[in-house]
Amino acid sequence: MTISSSPPPTRSGEDELHESYVELFHDAPCGYLTTTADGVITRVNRTLATWTGLGEDELLGTAFVDLLTTAGQLFYESRFATVLRLSGEVREVALSMRCADLRDLPVLINALIVPAHGERAEEIRIAVFDATERQDYERQLLVARRQAEASEARVRVLQDASSAFGLAMSVQELGEALITAARTGLLAASAAVLLPGERDGRDLIVDGVQMDPLISAGLMDLAMQAIEGDEVVTVASLDQAATIRPDLDVALQEQRLAALSIAPLRGDSGAHGVVVCFFGRDQVFDDDTRDIHAALARQASQVLRRVRLQEELAHRALHDQLTGLANRKLLQVRLDEALAGARRDARPLSIVFIDLDGFKAVNDALGHRVGDEVLVEVAERLRGVARASDPVARYGGDEFVIVCENADAEAAGVIAERFRHEVGRPLTSVPPSYSVAASVGVATWTPDDTADDPEPERLIRLADEAMYASKRGGRDRVTSVTV
Amino acid sequence: MSTIASAARSQVLRRNNVTVTGDPAGRPIVFAHGFGCSQEVWHAVAPRFESDHRVVLFDAVGSGASDLGAYDPARYDSLHGYADDLLEILDALDLHDAVFVGHSVAAMVGVLASNVDPSRFGALVLVGPSPRYLDDDDYTGGFSHADIEGLLDALDANYLGWSETMAPLIMGNPARPELGSDLTESFCSVDPRIASQFARVTFLSDNRRDLEQVRTPTLVLQCSEDVIAPPAVGRYVHEQISGSRFVQLAATGHCPNLSAPEELAAEITAFLR
Repeated sequence: MTISSSPPPTRSGEDELHESYVELFHDAPCGYLTTTADGVITRVNRTLATWTGLGEDELLGTAFVDLLTTAGQLFYESRFATVLRLSGEVREVALSMRCADLRDLPVLINALIVPAHGERAEEIRIAVFDATERQDYERQLLVARRQAEASEARVRVLQDASSAFGLAMSVQELGEALITAARTGLLAASAAVLLPGERDGRDLIVDGVQMDPLISAGLMDLAMQAIEGDEVVTVASLDQAATIRPDLDVALQEQRLAALSIAPLRGDSGAHGVVVCFFGRDQVFDDDTRDIHAALARQASQVLRRVRLQEELAHRALHDQLTGLANRKLLQVRLDEALAGARRDARPLSIVFIDLDGFKAVNDALGHRVGDEVLVEVAERLRGVARASDPVARYGGDEFVIVCENADAEAAGVIAERFRHEVGRPLTSVPPSYSVAASVGVATWTPDDTADDPEPERLIRLADEAMYASKRGGRDRVTSVTV
Repeated sequence: MSTIASAARSQVLRRNNVTVTGDPAGRPIVFAHGFGCSQEVWHAVAPRFESDHRVVLFDAVGSGASDLGAYDPARYDSLHGYADDLLEILDALDLHDAVFVGHSVAAMVGVLASNVDPSRFGALVLVGPSPRYLDDDDYTGGFSHADIEGLLDALDANYLGWSETMAPLIMGNPARPELGSDLTESFCSVDPRIASQFARVTFLSDNRRDLEQVRTPTLVLQCSEDVIAPPAVGRYVHEQISGSRFVQLAATGHCPNLSAPEELAAEITAFLR
């Protein structure tokens, strides 16, 4: 038996207190509800029923997630529910609810997991705040911020590209910088620069993609379309690729690619080529994306003219202008490299020295122009029979030097004989009555631990002396010496 | 074992915050989380396999405690970047005959990785997979472009630049007192820019063509009332992967790993038996 010092609350007092709390719950200035652990609504106040236009009876037993807009459901399931489950609470999450009249109600939500306790199962308590005004304001902020970020990103991409392009000293470096810009600026999975007509097999600069299967599947048609139309050509998905060329989708998919875009590279005298960007998933090519791609290609086109000129100048500095052969300066460089290589790999090195017989007679009788034609023709023949890796240089007026790596005296003799024979065939640039032949000298050095390496000048001098021996011996012959 | 290779391996394991538990001699089982959180979503599932499996957990780059410095926007602009990471993890741990359990978008990452190198995989368990979220002419993914843009708006609205890294406000989870609030924060904090790109990659990819190439034994686990991956999508995945098994879970919602770990673990175990 308990004796209390104060009278217990009367029944009607308890009821009044209870009713005041019920009213506090139902008419709170926010929506308030509880759900099961699975998110099914178990209690809900009138405020939320009024806001959504759905009756309390309708709301009870409904999954909370079903009250949200589709986008809200995506966010709820992929983020909100996970964080709530892991952390026990989320606050101020912005979502939108779908009302009975199909109006969207922007809301901020706090939610709390109340663990099971005794008889009571785990439940989730959710407070819902009307955020219509805040949302309007935030939406404006958001739109403004996105626009600012997009234009800032665009400027940054083009500025970064411009600096990188500016540092390029060759077509290869420029192509690589353009590919890097495509990756960082356009988020391309891989990229390629195609430059038809570029000399020395440098018509393709590529990173991370096999071009041959794509070219077989019709990529060049799209490139031509970009060049001829002077426009960015895009393929947004594999399905679209299949409508363009029946194999293109398969060829792309095999390399885990789903979309591509092609922009033309243009110079003063028309198209240089294209830059192709490849993407690993479907793309939406809006005007902004196309503009950035086109702008990158334009910047690269301008720099391409500059690096081509630089390469042209560099080429001229190292090559004989008449014949296109290496000049003495380049010969010096190649010979130094060859000597170092011969020493390193302990392999023989031979120098072939050629002086034309009968050239002075042609020059004197038919003039310098015909003389030049003879030199050009002989140069072409020498290049035609030289091994691909052996540099052929014009050493002086009608003197030529060929560096033959990894060639001993015997091999060099065979090569020299080929040169002699080739020069001796009738020339198209002079009448048959004039005969031109080759006096050839060969100097071969085999690296040897006991002796010092020969000076490059000495090797050439020995080959030159051997050539003179051929001259003295009656011309049109090969003389070989070893160092 | 060369030093360079071993350095590359530890770099991969650090990059993806890889954790390995369980029986080192057991069949490997790898759990991969989906969009929106980290390996922590497996906390109630993974321990159930520790007695007879080598259990591998990791965070996708950009999520959880992964190395954010390794986030290369071009690499991770398609699911292939994540698939390459998965293959690098399997390679770093030299796992073979691995059971891969992927939740949500990670299910498709597992499909792509197993298509590149089937030799690493013994089984695929796809939990709530969807190869494409957008509706198409003759395909129902469940969402329109506007819905996905709405999600991106929701992401931006929730991470509206109040801080560079948005962590949920956490007071400690009364249901899991073993977790300090700091730890819980790192589980689910995200870089808003990465979250936005990951959402695009997740919800705008189309990997339907990759399903028919799967040659690994596959289990498709479909939740009830899953708004993200509706039952028709789960059925579609099952039909496209020949020989796959389809199981409808009683669990509701998109995260059975959190809401029904017992049922999920039981179905995986039954499939592997």
